[in-house]
Amino acid sequence: MVETAGLYQRYDNNSDYVLKNINLTINRGEFVFIVGASGAGKSTLLKLMIREIAPTSGTIKVFGQDLKRIPARRIPYLRRNIGIVFQDFRLLEERTAYDNIAFALRVTGTPWWEIRRRVPRVLEMVGLKDKERCRVCDLSGGEQQRVGIARAIVNRPAMIIADEPTGNLDPDTSLEVMNILRDINIQGTTIVVATHDQEIVDRFQKRVIYLEKGRLVSDEKKGAYIRAL
Amino acid sequence: MPFESFFYFLGEAFKSLYRNRWLSIASVGVVAITLLMLGTFMAVNFNINHMAETVKNQVEITVQIDDSAGVEERNQLRQMLVAHNSITEVRFVSREEALNRLKEQLPPGSLDGYENPEDNPLPDSFEIRTSVPEEVIPVAKEIEGYPAVEKVLYGEGTVENLFKTTTALKIIGIVLMALLAVTAVFLISHTIRLTVLLRRREIMIMKYVGATNSFIRWPFLLEGLFLGLAGAVLPLLVLYYSYGAALQWVDAANLAFLSLIPLSTIMLQLFKYLVPLGTGLGVLGSIFSMGRFLKV
Repeated sequence: MVETAGLYQRYDNNSDYVLKNINLTINRGEFVFIVGASGAGKSTLLKLMIREIAPTSGTIKVFGQDLKRIPARRIPYLRRNIGIVFQDFRLLEERTAYDNIAFALRVTGTPWWEIRRRVPRVLEMVGLKDKERCRVCDLSGGEQQRVGIARAIVNRPAMIIADEPTGNLDPDTSLEVMNILRDINIQGTTIVVATHDQEIVDRFQKRVIYLEKGRLVSDEKKGAYIRAL
Repeated sequence: MPFESFFYFLGEAFKSLYRNRWLSIASVGVVAITLLMLGTFMAVNFNINHMAETVKNQVEITVQIDDSAGVEERNQLRQMLVAHNSITEVRFVSREEALNRLKEQLPPGSLDGYENPEDNPLPDSFEIRTSVPEEVIPVAKEIEGYPAVEKVLYGEGTVENLFKTTTALKIIGIVLMALLAVTAVFLISHTIRLTVLLRRREIMIMKYVGATNSFIRWPFLLEGLFLGLAGAVLPLLVLYYSYGAALQWVDAANLAFLSLIPLSTIMLQLFKYLVPLGTGLGVLGSIFSMGRFLKV
């Protein structure tokens, strides 16, 4: 699903490499935590996976497509197969929960009757059935993140990439959000979560990839944050 | 673009104009005020040019015929004038008619003693007009060499000054209009840019959920078009009523010599400039402002 080989990344020719020689493979259906201190390169790795940036050298393949060579016009279609969840939610705050999710379907050309069928279903999945008509700015942080997750899954992507999805949430809400992601994973969707929430990583006992100063220093199948360190 | 998508984009554009209504009102306001300034200046400038042209078109040449010239020579002169490419009108004015005209222009009694035709000092003449007023001078010089011509009068000195003044007015008008147009382009494109800038978050989210660039671009482009159109129609309405009022005032104040351009003609002219300028800048402003946000 994701395959990198000799992946290097830097933002301009005079700066240091943010990622150095990353070689990893993420298979279909896996749940992977990418951990490391701030500046370790976690977010950069995720940006490469969604082709927000192109690699400086080396290769990164997602769904078998080489993202260094992918034509710009194909990028939107790649992203339709990846759900993205952000730390700061990135929702349209003045619009309702329903509208935010429907928005992701509309931009991909889904017909209105299909939108009406699918949006309530994903809202139910994330436990927000009764908040459909609420404006996002009136929802709590945890609820907003659940709208973000609903938006990420509504296009039925093969993979979800979450960048610090619990970074703005309290521990209980964080756990709820992670449980939703785990449930989605159980249904077969690949999940990649960048985090430095030690408690969450330890509790879930999933694969843990540890990055330090841009290098991949450990990769454990059923890891914990401490072991990774 | 499929037909149903067009309606979706149209709907999205209107929804977004409504959602961001304060921003939309502010943008339309800036576009409207800028185009109103430009439109007002254009209306004034067009009228100055129109008046200058009217005055110029009144310039004519009087060819005084040599008293000693015979009928044949006079006919030959007439034929030469009629055949001239630059001359559009040739009218014979007899010495009697010339004297009568002079009597009408001067205070009564000024021409006492000239009643007898034999005492009339004025010669027969041809009054001619050229197709282009500026050709009066070269044509007059040319006619001086024709047979049976005693004198050619065209207001030498005054006409040259008139042409210089009208040309200067035209150039000043064009320069000021161009400066104002550049200011309008700058102001309008920056306003549209601001509307896009304030919604970069929306564009970014669209990119992340897999919207194609054209899908993102269309509603913004239509919004720019509507903002520009509304910003152009408003000053046209204001100009329509204020110009109409100005025409009425000129009429009522017996200032008919001002010879202003009729309302329908000036509105058509202003429409021709302001609508494409407003809508064009709205659309182009949107496209250029979106460029860098679409690169995510």
